[in-house]
Amino acid sequence: MSQLQARFFTENKRYAVDDVPFSIPAASEVQDLSHVINTLLQAKNESHKQVEFDFLVRGQFLRTSLSSHMETEGISTEEVVEIEYVERIAAPEPEECMMHDDWISSVDADTEWILTGSYDKTARIWSTEGKAVMTVAGHKDVVKDVAWVKRDGLTSLLLTASLDQTVLLWEWNSERNKVKARHCCRGHTGSVDTIATDPTGSKFCSGSWDKMLKIWSAVPTEEADEVEEPPDRPRKKQKTEQLGLTRTPLMTLSGHSEAVSSVLWCDSEEVCSASWDHTIRIWDTESGTMKTTLTGSKVFNCISYSPLCRRLASGSTDRHIRLWDPRTKDGSLVLLSLTSHTGWVTAVKWAPSHEHQLVSGSLDNLVKLWDTRSCKAPLYDLAAHEDKVFCVDWTESGLMLSGGADNKLYTYRYSACQTDAGA
Amino acid sequence: GGGGGGGGRGEEGGEEDLSDSEDSVFSGLEDSGSDSEEEEEEEGGGGGGGREEFCEVLCAVQDIRNTVGNVPMEWYRDFPHLGYDLDGRKIYKPIRSQDELDHFLDKMENPDYWRTVHDKQTGSDITLSEEQVALVRRLQSGRFGDVDFNEYQPTVEYFSRDVMLHPVTNRPADKRSFIPSLIEKEKVSKLVHAIKMGWIKPRRVEDDSRGRYYDLWASEDSSILARHKMHLPAPKIPLPGHQESYNPPPEFLFNEEERALWEQQDAADRKLPFVPRKFSSLRSVPAFPRFVHERFERCLDLYLCPRQRKMRVNVDPEDLIPKLPKPRDLQPFPTTQSLVYRGHSGLIRSISVSPTGQWLASGSDDGSVRFWEVCSSRCLKTVQVGGAVRSVTWNPNTAVCLLAVALDSRVLLLSPSLADRQVVSASELLLSDKEGAEPVQGAESLVTWSEAEGEELNEGIRLKIQHPKAVHQVAWHAKGDYLASVMPDHSSHLQVLIHQVSRRRSQNPFRRNKGLVQRVSFHPLRPYFFVATQRSVRIYNLLKQEMTKKLQANAKWISSMAVHPGGDHVICGSYDCRLSWFDLDLSTKPYRMLRHHKKAVRGVAYHRFYPLFASASDDGSVIVCHGTVYNDLLQNPLIVPVKVLRGHAVSQDLGVLDVTFHPSQPWVFSSGADATIRLYT
Repeated sequence: MSQLQARFFTENKRYAVDDVPFSIPAASEVQDLSHVINTLLQAKNESHKQVEFDFLVRGQFLRTSLSSHMETEGISTEEVVEIEYVERIAAPEPEECMMHDDWISSVDADTEWILTGSYDKTARIWSTEGKAVMTVAGHKDVVKDVAWVKRDGLTSLLLTASLDQTVLLWEWNSERNKVKARHCCRGHTGSVDTIATDPTGSKFCSGSWDKMLKIWSAVPTEEADEVEEPPDRPRKKQKTEQLGLTRTPLMTLSGHSEAVSSVLWCDSEEVCSASWDHTIRIWDTESGTMKTTLTGSKVFNCISYSPLCRRLASGSTDRHIRLWDPRTKDGSLVLLSLTSHTGWVTAVKWAPSHEHQLVSGSLDNLVKLWDTRSCKAPLYDLAAHEDKVFCVDWTESGLMLSGGADNKLYTYRYSACQTDAGA
Repeated sequence: GGGGGGGGRGEEGGEEDLSDSEDSVFSGLEDSGSDSEEEEEEEGGGGGGGREEFCEVLCAVQDIRNTVGNVPMEWYRDFPHLGYDLDGRKIYKPIRSQDELDHFLDKMENPDYWRTVHDKQTGSDITLSEEQVALVRRLQSGRFGDVDFNEYQPTVEYFSRDVMLHPVTNRPADKRSFIPSLIEKEKVSKLVHAIKMGWIKPRRVEDDSRGRYYDLWASEDSSILARHKMHLPAPKIPLPGHQESYNPPPEFLFNEEERALWEQQDAADRKLPFVPRKFSSLRSVPAFPRFVHERFERCLDLYLCPRQRKMRVNVDPEDLIPKLPKPRDLQPFPTTQSLVYRGHSGLIRSISVSPTGQWLASGSDDGSVRFWEVCSSRCLKTVQVGGAVRSVTWNPNTAVCLLAVALDSRVLLLSPSLADRQVVSASELLLSDKEGAEPVQGAESLVTWSEAEGEELNEGIRLKIQHPKAVHQVAWHAKGDYLASVMPDHSSHLQVLIHQVSRRRSQNPFRRNKGLVQRVSFHPLRPYFFVATQRSVRIYNLLKQEMTKKLQANAKWISSMAVHPGGDHVICGSYDCRLSWFDLDLSTKPYRMLRHHKKAVRGVAYHRFYPLFASASDDGSVIVCHGTVYNDLLQNPLIVPVKVLRGHAVSQDLGVLDVTFHPSQPWVFSSGADATIRLYT
């Protein structure tokens, strides 16, 4: 078997070739096939420039020689092989490195601003060019998670969750560069490890070490909620501590038997939470009931949901990234396992505009860019960090961010995302 | 002969053997008869063979007349001759050239025309004789050429499938077999007469009841009898074989190789004690030179042979290895190092995980206690306590957040305020409640309770309990109010103190202490108190104030002890590399001794609900074992080491100093002399 019959096709009209079977050497690898396509395109169009392509055989990226790939995948070599080709995803280019004073626990970026939470009890706002804009200080302990809520012109709402068991809702005016604590969300009895704002920006959910999920209103008001205070509590102490108006949760979701490590909104009425009790639970925020439980075998550190492919990605302490279908009723079926990390996977994030790509960070100091069509090996290893990676993010403008215990927040420009998204 | 046989059968008709032999005799006769028939047949066959020979001779004679051989005669069509005779002369064709008319005339006139055949070889006509014609006719009609041959001979069935009463002969029995024999009658009457006359006396029956034979061992003790039943006969001398013969078959004689081998071998290893030799006659065999020797050895054999039945069991050694389950089936257990907690500058003697599993406290020789966030290996708090910390223990009560720290001769109670406000305030309340309510009334004022002030207060230190001697270990009761501290001292009776935190009271529970107390522990559920001394573990009932059990650890020096959260099992590590596993219900001896460590075991720990325990050793490794105890009492507990965890560097001959499990996950923490804490998941 030295020659194979192959038919090439692509979604991208720019690079379409004739729909006829070609006889290609079975031992040919990605470069050879790429060369074949380029030659074909050049024959058709004189002005064609060399483009690196990647090849998919039955939805799996070709990483070895064609014959060995087909052997491992069990594809018959007798018939004409359908090979899809896409433009090679370019490596993310490192852009900025933002130095912090302490470990970075969390990052949330949108198209304009980057918000990071740090172990020095502050959160910081950065521009995407890497300029420090604002330091949000107010927590009495380590900031564990941060989130943007809403942007209204120049005024933004943001959230910081901390080990001091509170979540603070801040209002930030980017023009005057003033930040003001609007509400102090009290109610958790453990460190608040994770927060997530709902798609409309009117509510947010927090997950805590006290095994609870709480849903709060994210709309700033001018009155404080009533709080039942312990009667013996000294009054004056409370006054000095108060930062912003006290707010109480709209709803408390309990059901996890261990700490909640990660929470997110699947849509405006569904909250998904991952916990140290080896489960991922999906909750209905209207009724406050649990809808589905996905049971794993190891502690979940992080989850991410992609509305494009409707998959949950989870990072565990056993170095695997697993993909789940949150709609399944039995709820314990792992669709795919991505294994390449050698430490706990601490952060995972789907690409906002690509249904196959995700980025993950791990305690082994690596950030990896994955394509689910190539589950054996990641597309790229981003080995910038010198210590544990705690958080990653991916903005819609194609910026990837990662922060960790080396006090550095790296950003990477990911250009191929846009062109490939159209494919 | 047949008649005699018949008579014999008549007389001894009951004996089957005889009748069988008769049958065989008869069948033999029949056989011989059939043999003769066969001979006749053979003769007939021989006759047939003769005729065939005659034919062949005829053919030969004919062949001789023409020597051309078996070639087509057409070859000679154009020649005047047909071939050559024996002398080489040509045989000419007959001159006549018979045409159809000649043929017709011949047919009409010659009466023998119908039996005249033309011989192509000689060209002459041959008139067949009567016999030959008959032969041709027979052959034409498909019969045998031989007239005498009977193709329908009757089949002789030598062995018929029909079962016959008298299978061979149908001869009726002799008349005399029904008539009593006169000679026998005469003999019998003679015997009867002799008996009547008393000449023949009936055989005298020996009377054994008098006891000519008796049970020699009847009066013996039953145990001796029982032993006697196990009597073994002396080994028998093997019977002489061909080798011993004076004229053995040549295969028994040694060739050169065998002889060399025999001479090389040790006398005990030889297969034969002698060399087989061949003599021409028995007369020339010399005397056996080793006869006396051999007899003597035989006597030795008889005298010294083991008279005990040896149970020999043929077992595959593989079967003797106990069937251990695969570690994979015993998951979850920690397998890989996940996090390293760095920050201490001295060796870390003790670690403890908070009951919620969020915090890890460690005490080091650099004089600090550090609090770490478990999931990120972040050191959140460092408390300088001013002295090498020997032991740290979290209060197991989740309603309070307290840490007991032992250093030098002090026990400190820290409130690290790493919990909910209510929990923090509850723990503050517990420590400050009895302020001044009860003055310090320590056990004979051996112990001083004092409150921390100033800087120490800010760091979280709340209470200081000053002991008279160096404190090596502190242990909380499961309720979180009582605290035991250990001050190992050979000479004193004051080695263990129990403090009640809420009332700030201390007491010495033991009037006397035997041995050097190493470790103490409270029973997690019942009012028992475990005290590990150098060699043994004593279990005291705190309510009855008495010792209930003493476990012998079979170790020289116990270093560490852990009690199973169910309270039924105890593990002890010792400085002589051993780990003993006790089942308290079963025995005071260790059920299992594990010797997997190469150096002293420093710390042992049980998991709160997974069936796991771990031991830390100076060889730098932590060994995690799976230990399942079944409810079924018949099934032995399953104790299997599942994983060796390495990572700690050995410094100054000290490896891993303490080990502890995460309260909810199957994770194990270990602290070492290399100033790191490692988390294995």
